[in-house]
Amino acid sequence: MKNSNLLTELLATWEETYKKGQLTLWIFLSLKDGRKYVDEIKSFVEEQSEYTMTCESQSLYRTLRKFKHVGVVDFETGTGNKGPDRKYYFLTELGHDLLENFIQRNINLFFNKRIKDLINKEE
Amino acid sequence: MKAFTTNLMYFAISFFLGAVAFRYGLSYSLECKYFDFVWILAIIYFFFNFLIGWHFGKKDYESIPLNDVGFRFHFVTYFLFNSIGILWFLLDLNSYYESLRLVYLIAIFWGIGLIIHFIFYLLERKKSINGLSKEDLFE
Repeated sequence: MKNSNLLTELLATWEETYKKGQLTLWIFLSLKDGRKYVDEIKSFVEEQSEYTMTCESQSLYRTLRKFKHVGVVDFETGTGNKGPDRKYYFLTELGHDLLENFIQRNINLFFNKRIKDLINKEE
Repeated sequence: MKAFTTNLMYFAISFFLGAVAFRYGLSYSLECKYFDFVWILAIIYFFFNFLIGWHFGKKDYESIPLNDVGFRFHFVTYFLFNSIGILWFLLDLNSYYESLRLVYLIAIFWGIGLIIHFIFYLLERKKSINGLSKEDLFE
């Protein structure tokens, strides 16, 4: 196998594993940005992740129902654009605390100077 | 955790109506000595319950995947079936050929099965948060 092909395949496999579970972070970030309805969350996730993350509306609804059930997300009904009323989702206090703790423990590591330097270091 | 979901409620209503219809058909058939019809009735009743359990159970899981190993649906089925069975006798709607002792025996032996199911449910709850599997919550 050519090196470039191998690189592409390895990258795709790593990314597939890496992205599992990331949707939660992107959903939380989109709601930290402000209350949104499902299509807006979908657009936020796709645009802000530069289309490395994609999600189906149905899968988002299912995920949001689970988050609502455990109390990290809630919704309020707002008027839609000509159509029926929409559910505008937002993070609850528990949701905000959860995101803050998750970021502190798992994301802020990447802002550590040594790690940042390593990421930017050229071979 | 909201255990009594909308789909469970629809299941309970359907099951209740089915159980009352079955009880009525059973007592009527026995009273009129249509013994062959009892078999047909029992088979229809079995498939009816299977279908409503399948339909509402699937819809319930799709709506919110509660990790309860089917215990909520089992409990509702047990409660309604046996309550209707006992009430049928208390209201004197039973036929001559039915026995209250048999109804109690069913409730007792089925109850033992329900308790075992409850133990499995409690074990499964340890792997859940508000009834949702920890493994699937942030997938």
